Amino acid sequence: MGCGVTKSNQFQRHAVKAIRAAVLIQQWYRQYVARMEMRRRYTWHIFQSIEYSGEQAQIKLYNFLGYLMDNFTPASDERNLISHIFRENEVCHDAEWERYFCYKNIEVPEIYSGPRLRFPLTAEQAVCLLEAFRNKKQLHSRYVLQLLLETWKLLRMLPNISRISTCHSKEITVCGDLHGQLEDLLLIFYKNGTPSLEKPYVFNGDFVDRGKDSMEILLILFAFLLVYPTEVHLNRGNHEDHLINLRYGFTKEVLSKYKMHGKRILKLLQKIFSWLPLAAVIDQKVLVLHGGISDSTDLGVLAKADRRAYVSALRPPKKKRRQRSSAGTSVDSDADDDWANRRLLRRRASLVFPKPAVSRDGFLNRSLRDFSDRIELGAEDEAERLGSFGAEREARASLDSLGSDGAKEEWKQILDLLWSDPMSQDGCIPNELRGGGCYWGPDVTRDFLSKHNMQLIVRSHECKQDGYEFCHDRKVLTLFSASNYYDVGSNRGAYVKLGPDLVPYVVQYQASSMTRELTAQQSVGQTERSALKVLREQLFSHKSDLIWAFKAFDSHNTGLISVTDWATAVEGVMRLGLPWRMLRSQLVGGKSGDGLIDYRQWFDQLAIKGANADHIDQSLLETLYRHRSTLETIFRIVDTNNSGFISPSDFRQTWKLLSVYLKMEITDEAISELTVAIDSNRDGAIDIDEFMEAFRLTDKKSRLERGRSMFMATAPDLSALDPDEHV
Amino acid sequence: MAPKKIEPKKPEPKKPEPKVSPASKMALSSELLSEHPKEPDFDPKSITLEFTADQIEEFKEAFNLFDRTPKGEMKISYAQCGDVMRALGQNPTNADVLKVLGKPRPEEMSSKMVDFETFLPMLQHISRAKDQGNYEDFVEGLRVFDKEGNGTIMGAELRHVLATLGERMTEDEVDRLMAGQEDANGCINYASFVKHILSG
Repeated sequence: MGCGVTKSNQFQRHAVKAIRAAVLIQQWYRQYVARMEMRRRYTWHIFQSIEYSGEQAQIKLYNFLGYLMDNFTPASDERNLISHIFRENEVCHDAEWERYFCYKNIEVPEIYSGPRLRFPLTAEQAVCLLEAFRNKKQLHSRYVLQLLLETWKLLRMLPNISRISTCHSKEITVCGDLHGQLEDLLLIFYKNGTPSLEKPYVFNGDFVDRGKDSMEILLILFAFLLVYPTEVHLNRGNHEDHLINLRYGFTKEVLSKYKMHGKRILKLLQKIFSWLPLAAVIDQKVLVLHGGISDSTDLGVLAKADRRAYVSALRPPKKKRRQRSSAGTSVDSDADDDWANRRLLRRRASLVFPKPAVSRDGFLNRSLRDFSDRIELGAEDEAERLGSFGAEREARASLDSLGSDGAKEEWKQILDLLWSDPMSQDGCIPNELRGGGCYWGPDVTRDFLSKHNMQLIVRSHECKQDGYEFCHDRKVLTLFSASNYYDVGSNRGAYVKLGPDLVPYVVQYQASSMTRELTAQQSVGQTERSALKVLREQLFSHKSDLIWAFKAFDSHNTGLISVTDWATAVEGVMRLGLPWRMLRSQLVGGKSGDGLIDYRQWFDQLAIKGANADHIDQSLLETLYRHRSTLETIFRIVDTNNSGFISPSDFRQTWKLLSVYLKMEITDEAISELTVAIDSNRDGAIDIDEFMEAFRLTDKKSRLERGRSMFMATAPDLSALDPDEHV
Repeated sequence: MAPKKIEPKKPEPKKPEPKVSPASKMALSSELLSEHPKEPDFDPKSITLEFTADQIEEFKEAFNLFDRTPKGEMKISYAQCGDVMRALGQNPTNADVLKVLGKPRPEEMSSKMVDFETFLPMLQHISRAKDQGNYEDFVEGLRVFDKEGNGTIMGAELRHVLATLGERMTEDEVDRLMAGQEDANGCINYASFVKHILSG
């Protein structure tokens, strides 16, 4: 019938239109997803490269200070400023330690509303502690010290490598880095249950630094450890290290939360960190450790090491009385009668190796050699002192004091264990990005696992977007438990459960109610803005170098530079390996008509502003800004009694130290100007925190912050669209 | 009553007999996707590159971001090609991508690799495609589902369409696309929907 045909034609047309429409929508959707993925990737890349270069900076700083120690006369000011961090513990014997850490005479006031602990701890008390922290209470220093003491006593009895088994049907839960993010730990316990006889846990290091509740996390973990010593296992991470804590916030957190006893607590924690076990093995098949392995990792060596000699993994091990590295028979005494001599030799041992700089050994002190031209040894007696030794003799002496190649090897193995990262290429190369440990490849994993008859390595140390990542043919699992690590919405956290079948079952989560309300697009946008802000700060703090690099391309001094040259110059200075062209529109306000970038105008858009900063030389401000992390670290080192204040003369000395480190001239007048800029209370002593806060980078043009995604330019006719405020 | 035979607009050999049924819709859709009749297979050698040096550098950056090879060899898998092109601002359908890849078998998608030199002519070809679909087309396409002509479409219907027609999306993808777009009545204002997609 006629109408039948018409109807079917209409239907046909409609169907065709519908399909076309569907295809269009799907097409656009897929493009949208690809763009989001691109943004996510480079945002990640930004955060990660900046994070790792910070770690590298810390190690470099440490090496530099070590070099200073070796090459300045004992009487020199600079050396005195920092020598204490290399000095042996003042108090020597166990009994003296116990007295030093005594909590008994610390009074707890009536009005204290936090938890009161009674030892031996019970499970209820541990849960109580958890609740108290959830409710933002703080544990009194008396109980803190008591809990830490008990923990210390327990840890001393544990072997380097914990042996765990999933007997019957117990599932073991393994958690990765927590980095002071209490919310994540609470979330894990909420989802998975608190540790108990039926619920064993392994916590894989990096409990502290960066997040603001590192202390609370430690206290919770230690409390459960005391209650369930056979079910709770803690591995040491590279951040369980007082030297790292100086830079990354844990030291600051403890001192501000515990103003009276913070120093004592930190000291006790130093010992506890060195006593944390190094690794755990589940059912003899699954190895759990913080960083990773190298091609020389040998569990036999690690099992026999005297782990508590490594107070900081960055320093060579402390020597025992008359002994080479002992085989686990830990003598409690830290005593060293002739420690002065030994100390000197030991210091040198970390820095000077008898053989020429070759591969990994050379790498350990390679950055060190870079400093030799910065230090004027000046005094004649200095030259004589060194001259009489001669490098060879020195080296041999240090070699002897360090014991043998075995001791060096052991130290390297511990460094590798705490700092290494997997890579996709075969082989094993030094981890230059971090400054410690190595990168190890799938062949190393294969060899290691077959040598030790194991099937899986579980490690942490690297932030992963999904909270976890398998690599090396699923033989290595990276686990990261601090969600929203770089920024709200940046990544999920994860933990893994292993039953008797040892098949890893991963559970992901994301803390913070805020993220649930953001759509994927919004959260990517937010993290991206955050990353770009950080990156802009980094760029600005390298202003002088960048301008110098730009000028090399701008021979006629027009102030303009092509995009290609801009990208080349920026990468040459920053060395972050980022996709600069893709980021350009987000970083630089606008291009001139012919596609050139006005670099002078670019820098004008950013400026360092501080309360009293206007009269201070811009280049000094830039230095301060670029190296503020290092500067702050040095301040805290110089602040020997951890008071949070340093004297004006020490302040001056710190800047002199920094000027040597950076090979820059900083005049006395410039330093005076800085001092004046800060309100100093308390007999002219300078508050470190206040000083660091006084100089912050603010963007003049906030529109850069609200900038649109760079891909918007590719969609046609967008002038009709309003910017989405929520993106 | 459905007639038995319907002449399709562009007859192709080996097509199943079209009926007004879901199967027919699928057939129509595959036909629509290869709407350029008698186009020869993609020959990379026939493509002259018109990209500037600057553009090529930018493409390299994108390529590198997706490169997951062991030694950073500047190679991506077949499966990633579409995404990299889209990330660079192109808008191919999956069928378009498969065509420039030389119509690979499904199992080849994750195993076969493309290096940057091979990728460029593919990108060039895609960038020349005539109907990439612009904003107006997009809105027109959505208007098809606007039964009442009031600027809204039923979320449920859109979900159904996207999951069953054209280059079908998974339920998960549909959820993510529509997140936060439906109002209390399950309706979507498609003007803002379009903004949402285009601003991503």
